[in-house]
Amino acid sequence: MEASEPVSFSAPAIDAGSDLLHLGLRENDTLEVPPGAPGSPASWYTGSPTPGEVGPAVLLGHVDDSAGQPGVFAALPQLAEGDEITVEREDGSTAVFSVTKAEQYGKNDFPTLEVYGNTDAAELRLITCDGYNQETGEYEDNYVVYATLAE
Amino acid sequence: MRKSQLLAVPTLALGAMLMTAAPAMAHSSHGGETDGAATSDSSQSWSFQADLDPMNNSGTVGDVLIEGQGNQATVYMTVDGAAETFMDGPFPHAQHIHFGSQGICPPADADQNGDGAVNVEEGAPFYGGIGSSLTIEGDTSADSALAVERFPGGSSYTYERNLELPDDVVASMVDGTGVVVVHGVDPTVLSEEAANAQSELDDSLPLAATLPAACGTLTGSQMDGMPEGGADTGIGGGSEGSGMAMAAGGGALALGAIGAGAYFMRQRPSES
Repeated sequence: MEASEPVSFSAPAIDAGSDLLHLGLRENDTLEVPPGAPGSPASWYTGSPTPGEVGPAVLLGHVDDSAGQPGVFAALPQLAEGDEITVEREDGSTAVFSVTKAEQYGKNDFPTLEVYGNTDAAELRLITCDGYNQETGEYEDNYVVYATLAE
Repeated sequence: MRKSQLLAVPTLALGAMLMTAAPAMAHSSHGGETDGAATSDSSQSWSFQADLDPMNNSGTVGDVLIEGQGNQATVYMTVDGAAETFMDGPFPHAQHIHFGSQGICPPADADQNGDGAVNVEEGAPFYGGIGSSLTIEGDTSADSALAVERFPGGSSYTYERNLELPDDVVASMVDGTGVVVVHGVDPTVLSEEAANAQSELDDSLPLAATLPAACGTLTGSQMDGMPEGGADTGIGGGSEGSGMAMAAGGGALALGAIGAGAYFMRQRPSES
């Protein structure tokens, strides 16, 4: 598909969906993430290809919110291979992706090129947090869903 | 194996190559304000990557990310499945950016002398000569091509180094003829003839030490700015709930910052 910035996403299998913020990188080159307030939408990383273009388009969403309730990407682990994820784009078109796999990575052992590296097809990466540590109150892992544009 | 006619990239052509390739270096096709404004000056940031696939039955794989501005580059590599030991020490893995030829990895039938292995000279018509040596310390020119004591070693390693790449090496990545090659194959996976041969490059070294083990062509990154690590997409104790509330308008600011800050601040994130 031609480049066209994303407007919203929907993952019907887990009843998830929202508009998409457009966020970049912080000064230390880590990804900006959406606000933590309840009801916050997911975001598209503006340095990644637009969803539907060849390459790994990156969407981010919180697993929880500042009120301790589930965030927009809380149910990502329930997605199964073959589930659809759709992205509405500014040019009015819809990019339909199919989930291919999911992986959980330690944040200190994140495989940059596996997740963000070049791809032959138009792909999607949905990233949220996982691996909550009760003692520190922090999420130690990222959960990444991989999807490929459906034919 | 220093310079050969293979490496002779006409100097005059270099400027033109960099110039015409500038839009590709920005590789942004989704309408950011950097589009179309790309220039070939030294502030131009760029990013290339390669998947390393095994050669010579080595089982060696890896990936490479090279990011930079002008001639200043940071090279990140991970290599797995490489030969482990050599004379009771870690098996040294010479690694280079090759350039100036077809920009492809040689097929198995590039073997000319019938020993079952594609050696460096047999591979050169495909991936070219050595542009930069990805050493751990010191010189990074082709002079260090076989400086085995200054290369990473062992079966699995990561490599990260800031270095300066010559114009012609940067140009080769832009035009798709830059190839990363990791050398050094466990002799037990080779034919008996190859396992017992001396290197065609240096007869003080076994052939196994200099044989290509993994190879990959560098291509421009599809990402405009490679993020560091994962994402802080969990609130948890609420410790990170504030301060990162960036609405949609904030994205444009960050786009401009990619070129400026990307190079010097590399550090694997330890925050969660």
